[in-house]
Amino acid sequence: MKRRDFVKSLALVSAGTPVLLNEMKVQSIGKQLFSVSKSNEDRILVIIRMNGGNDGLNTVIPRDQYANLTIQRNNVLIPETDVLELTTDVGLHPKMGGMKSLYDSGTLGIIQNVGYPEQNRSHFRSMDIWTSGLIDSQADTGWLGRYFDGEYPGYPSGYPSTACPDPFAISLGYEVSVTCQGLMANFSHAVNDPFDVYNLSSGGAINDGTYYGYHMEYLTTLINQANAYGQQVNAAANAGTGSLASLYDLTNPLAQQLRYVAQMIDGGLQTNVYILNVNGFDTHDAQVSATSTQDGAHADLLQRISDAVASFQADIEQMNYQERVAGMTFSEFGRQIASNASLGTDHGDAAPMFLFGSCLNTNIMGANPTIDSTIVNQAGLPMEYDFRDIYASVLKDWFGVPTAEIQSFFEHTVQYYPVMGACNVGIEEEELTVLKALVYPNPANTNAKIRFVAENEWVKVDVFDLQHRTVLNVFDGNLSQGEHNIPMETAELPAGEYIVQIKKESGLVHSKLVKVK
Amino acid sequence: MLPQINLLMPDQNQNGPISYNMAPYSGPWTKVEAGHLLRRTVFGPTNQQMLTAVSDGMATTVTNLLQIPVVAEPITFHPDEAVTAFGNSWVNDVFPSSPTDAATTATARNLSLAVWLMKGSNEGQSDISQKMCMFWHNHFAVTAVADPRATYDYFALIRQHALGNFRQFVKDMTINPAMLLFLNGNTNTLFSPNENFARELLELYTVGKGPQIGPGDYTNYKEEDVAAGAKILTGYLVDGIGSDTLTDVSAVYTDILHDPSTKTLSSHFGGATVSNNMGNEYSDYIDIIFQQQAVAEYISRKLYRYFVNYDLTTDVETNVIPIMAATMIANNYDILPVMSELLSSEHFYDISVRGALIKSPVDMTFSMFNSTESIPGFDIVSDAEMYLLVYQYITLMGQEFAAPPSVAGWPAYYQTPAYSQLWVNSALLKARFQLTDFMTYLTGIPGGGNNWELNTLAFLDNLSFPSDAPSVIDDIADLFTPKGMSATQKLILKAVLTNGLPDFEWTIQYNDYQANLGNTTFSDPVKQRVLLVLQQVFHMPEFQTI
Repeated sequence: MKRRDFVKSLALVSAGTPVLLNEMKVQSIGKQLFSVSKSNEDRILVIIRMNGGNDGLNTVIPRDQYANLTIQRNNVLIPETDVLELTTDVGLHPKMGGMKSLYDSGTLGIIQNVGYPEQNRSHFRSMDIWTSGLIDSQADTGWLGRYFDGEYPGYPSGYPSTACPDPFAISLGYEVSVTCQGLMANFSHAVNDPFDVYNLSSGGAINDGTYYGYHMEYLTTLINQANAYGQQVNAAANAGTGSLASLYDLTNPLAQQLRYVAQMIDGGLQTNVYILNVNGFDTHDAQVSATSTQDGAHADLLQRISDAVASFQADIEQMNYQERVAGMTFSEFGRQIASNASLGTDHGDAAPMFLFGSCLNTNIMGANPTIDSTIVNQAGLPMEYDFRDIYASVLKDWFGVPTAEIQSFFEHTVQYYPVMGACNVGIEEEELTVLKALVYPNPANTNAKIRFVAENEWVKVDVFDLQHRTVLNVFDGNLSQGEHNIPMETAELPAGEYIVQIKKESGLVHSKLVKVK
Repeated sequence: MLPQINLLMPDQNQNGPISYNMAPYSGPWTKVEAGHLLRRTVFGPTNQQMLTAVSDGMATTVTNLLQIPVVAEPITFHPDEAVTAFGNSWVNDVFPSSPTDAATTATARNLSLAVWLMKGSNEGQSDISQKMCMFWHNHFAVTAVADPRATYDYFALIRQHALGNFRQFVKDMTINPAMLLFLNGNTNTLFSPNENFARELLELYTVGKGPQIGPGDYTNYKEEDVAAGAKILTGYLVDGIGSDTLTDVSAVYTDILHDPSTKTLSSHFGGATVSNNMGNEYSDYIDIIFQQQAVAEYISRKLYRYFVNYDLTTDVETNVIPIMAATMIANNYDILPVMSELLSSEHFYDISVRGALIKSPVDMTFSMFNSTESIPGFDIVSDAEMYLLVYQYITLMGQEFAAPPSVAGWPAYYQTPAYSQLWVNSALLKARFQLTDFMTYLTGIPGGGNNWELNTLAFLDNLSFPSDAPSVIDDIADLFTPKGMSATQKLILKAVLTNGLPDFEWTIQYNDYQANLGNTTFSDPVKQRVLLVLQQVFHMPEFQTI
């Protein structure tokens, strides 16, 4: 049973027996777990793909490196005085006023120098790596697809269902997103315009085990799904009347798409992931205008993204969904440090990622890249953060996926960073249970022990049943700093599930105990 | 709630052993086999073409298909064209001197080019030329450039070499002005090498990219080859863009921009050196690249994926690709013998690969038009406006001609594991159905005050036994579906055709129409019934496969 399923069933039981709870216990267990699990399940991640390889050095500009930037890329470099100042050392492209205002209000995060080891400079291979989250293995599934496969095994067979009537992910436009490719099917549903539904019909077909039969079944399923999800999506978009059109410049295609997302969210669609795409970042030539380096193709793209994200964040905040909605950007690689003579830049290595939302842990993570004074042919920026760790951290912070499960999605040993955890007051405590209190053996029979860490403090350990009645007082006293293994006599307990509570001055920790006969 | 279904991965052995034999096919030759060959080589064969192919036999049909006839050049139809007279070709005409007129003329010529591309996919589908050109447009996936004359020259070059010598094709494409503009070859100079083309030449056009086996080492080439290649290719400029004096764009070699140093290639090319040969150095380099057998294997795989099946199984890699590559090398990289062998092979006709691909938007669209013998056939302006609407619809369905989504072409031809399944999803299917509905129960495609409708009556009259309802449905199934329809599906469609009446009622209705030709009172009901059948057929998943 997954942690969230457990939390859900616990909440269900508690809700049915409120009179048996006293105030303290409601606060310490039931209410906390219930509310946290609710908000966790409702969370929405918006992903914006900057397709083509974004020139990070002209996006997030290291203000302390200007002397050497002038040597490396004078023909595309933004005039120093025009850069939008975030900190003494870090600035944004002058067309990114929207994102600067988010930064000023604490709702924009920047992660510097994100990449992966031995950067591959092919668009196609590198995009495969970024969308799959895999470097060595064949990229047959997407990083979110693997997460969804774990949550909804067997998909698409049996979906949509009464419990899951909505698409798990929506890709805006006509294409599904490779990030959501699962083992059998893609978890994202392509929506070009949620207000324009169309009834698709399907023919009869059987899967006779050939390629043809495989396509027949695929097409039939797709046609049926398009129908079912289409109606859900349309109903939600029409119900999403809280979104304000006046906040957006709807001639900006990304702004129009983000407005659709805001409307679908407000209409109650239970979709957890929205994926949007902006093409055009492969700026080998004419990245900047010949007359002004702060204008041109790249500037227009950045402005489109910056304006649209700022509008969307304002809309989300005015609808009061800011603790449920967060976003991130990605691109397959950054570009080379030195520019070329075509007023452009060639394929490079690491580049910054943006996060946005009201639950960010940090504004700027990582140091400015160091720019050398001599031009090294083909040099890109070295990576500081592995993008797979950022994905993993988002899954942990934002969707509350247990770390053991997250690790199984990736080939490398995952390193977590605090990225989107600022609204997780309740969740963090729950996570501590998993990390810092271990009941063993579990399930237990006549005896068990609980292992946890104390800090030279008073500790009280009790066991509750699912109706929050105390069934066992295990320990009450002072403990020294360090790890402790406290024995529990469980022989008298009826078989079933229990909560072990460790009350310490340094914090409250809960763990589950299963008693078997 | 939808019914529970079980998605099985293809298990090729369920229908008996698969033949990977590349020797000539000698089995039954009926509408089934002939239809498979025709659907894979032309956009939308007609019933008559299928019958002819059956009587001609496989060998003659393959020979007839493997031709690239000369086609007429795009012509002026738009009033904004300021130089070329209405109805004449503009591909070797200057631009007007006034910048405003030049801009509107360029737009008019781009529209004319789009019309030409659509018309070429619609008319004269008696050979492989359009599908072969589409293959190369996907391979050398160039997006339209600033001067429509250069864009036209690019498509003309594709047509010139479509079944010709691949080595010469790559050489000519390397210094094709549209390619020089598209991948920045024109700004690749001694003073500032631009690697864009040099990288794709190896990664996408010739040897292909293998697994990364070391830092910057992609099995068939290394990063250092990209850098060396960029230097080798330096020195070409594009002249004549938008010119009011030059009648075409051209590639011009400029020696002072060329890197004269001796370039050394990596171990994957035996450490070969390329010394200064000025404007012909690119040719020397391409000769070296083509010494790698990987070129023949890479292009064979792409041909196989496009014409046979996306799935390069171990058996295909073992039994099919090496034979194709060997044929290619034995014929000095000529494409025609490879295609002839492939389309005649036992493997090509194996039941396991029939219906194994999902139609591209172009294929879907023109299989609807061409199999129903539908061309606009009005005046130049009306036809052009209609073709432009079709062009926009195909774009909406995810395949913008002259604007592939990336330099690798359309993901449906390379993106593992979904491949051609990427052509369809809920939104894209919706666009497909909108277009087919427009042609079957809506107005047809408007243009110049006319409407382009399906050529329903001619289509019906050219079927084997048009007065016999079961036979009409059988022919429709043979024409539009790679593996036929079930008995139930045919019964449903026959009920649509006969409006639920006994079969003889259809016979009476058809004979009445024939006895009163030109009288719409008799022809309209017949036409209506056939359109309702086609409307259903175009919504069937079977129609979406090939």
